[in-house]
Amino acid sequence: MIKFTNVSKYYKPNVVALKTVNLDIASGEFVSIVGQSGTGKTTLIRLMIAEEKPSEGQIIIGGWDITDIKEREVPYLRRQIGVVFQDYKLLQKKNVFENIAFALQTCAVPLANIRRIVPQVIKIVGLEGKEERYPFQLSGGEQQRVVIARSLVHKPKLLVADEPTGNLDSINTREIIDLLKKINELGTTVILVTHDRDVVNSLKKRVITIDEGQIIGDQSKGRYVL
Amino acid sequence: MFFIEFSRVVKFALQSILRNFWLSLVTVSIITLALFSVSFLFIFNLMSAHTLAVVEGKTNVYIDLTASATPEQAQLLVAELQKLPAIKEAEFITPEKTLEDFKARHQDNKLILQSLASLEQNPFRGSLRINVYNISDFPVILSELSKKDYGQYLEIEDQEFTDAKLLIQGIGDYSQKIQRGGLIISLFFIIISLLVVFNTIQVGIYTHREEIGIMKLVGASNSFVRSPFLIEGIVYSILAVAILMAVLYPLLAFIQPYIDGFFKEYSTSLITLLNQNFFRVFGIQFLIAVVITVLSGFFAVRRYIKV
Repeated sequence: MIKFTNVSKYYKPNVVALKTVNLDIASGEFVSIVGQSGTGKTTLIRLMIAEEKPSEGQIIIGGWDITDIKEREVPYLRRQIGVVFQDYKLLQKKNVFENIAFALQTCAVPLANIRRIVPQVIKIVGLEGKEERYPFQLSGGEQQRVVIARSLVHKPKLLVADEPTGNLDSINTREIIDLLKKINELGTTVILVTHDRDVVNSLKKRVITIDEGQIIGDQSKGRYVL
Repeated sequence: MFFIEFSRVVKFALQSILRNFWLSLVTVSIITLALFSVSFLFIFNLMSAHTLAVVEGKTNVYIDLTASATPEQAQLLVAELQKLPAIKEAEFITPEKTLEDFKARHQDNKLILQSLASLEQNPFRGSLRINVYNISDFPVILSELSKKDYGQYLEIEDQEFTDAKLLIQGIGDYSQKIQRGGLIISLFFIIISLLVVFNTIQVGIYTHREEIGIMKLVGASNSFVRSPFLIEGIVYSILAVAILMAVLYPLLAFIQPYIDGFFKEYSTSLITLLNQNFFRVFGIQFLIAVVITVLSGFFAVRRYIKV
């Protein structure tokens, strides 16, 4: 599903964000990527969604070599990857339904399909009855659910969540993690980037540990060891 | 596919205008104000061009006939002059008519009228009144008249010729100065207006920078992200020109009496002038507004689209 071969990322003048990273994630896995702040976790995610290009090495996502992906091809890649961020990144002037539908509207999906798909994902994330609400009328947990729903509308094979529980309390954190597990059980590969020791330890799934831009640990049923 | 995408882009543009109502209002107001100042310069230039044309049209040169020239010869001369393409009008002014005009002009000056009455005969000779299409042709025509066969009937004295030449050159220079000054002021205002509108659109798009990033992250193509902003620019331009038209006509009607009072017989109807130049005033301004809003939108979005 995801293959990083000798991937390095440098920033000018002499910052090494990632150094010779080799990574292989199979389809249907649930992988936690852990590490302290500034160790290169978010850079790894940015490379996966082609927000950045690697300085060295090769990246393959779902059989597609995106190492030198052209700018016009990036939207097609992103429609196949669901992305969830800590700061939600919702459109404040659009309501829940519109925020979720927006991901479909951008790629010319007919209105009838949008009306069919959006209520389905709203049901999956448990936001029925809140379709007309705007982001500022929702709690942090609910906003994160909207983001997850938006990332699911394209039925992605890969869902990348960058610190999705960073702004949430423990109850909402548990609910979001349960939702991600449910999505994984439905067949989607999930990559979770987190600081949260409890979340990682409770998952009992594969854990990749990054430190100073390098992978220093990769355990199939790992724990947060830093 | 194209139709779905196009209709969504238009929908997003209209939604953005309505949902960011105050920002849209400020943007339209600034574009309208910019167009308003440019319109006034347009109208000022049209008005000054009209006034100069009227002044030029009213500028006649009178050339005295020699004492030996008969009215028949004068009429023949008029007929010949009217054949010249540069001459708009040529008229024989009889000695009687000249005397009559002189008396009318000096009706309040008793001394002149008494002196005139003491003379036994009409002191004036016949003359030719010449009016040309282009004021700059006058010196050439006068020089022609003094050279050719007309010379035997006409008395073109050096001083008279020089006076006419100076007057005509003066009007020509004044006309050029006004037009050049108007052009420089217009360009200055247009550049300021362009910069203000450009900046306003940039600020408007700056407020949408997060939205642009999110659109890109959920898989929107660059053209899909950019198009609503370009359509917004076109809508702003349409609204600004519509408001400009709605305000300009009543305003011109309001200031018309003041213009008439100032320019007197040289005045003209501003609304007629505007209607005669409708596409020049509104069409060009609309095109400029569209180009500037669309270009500013294009460059402003480009800054935030690289996500």
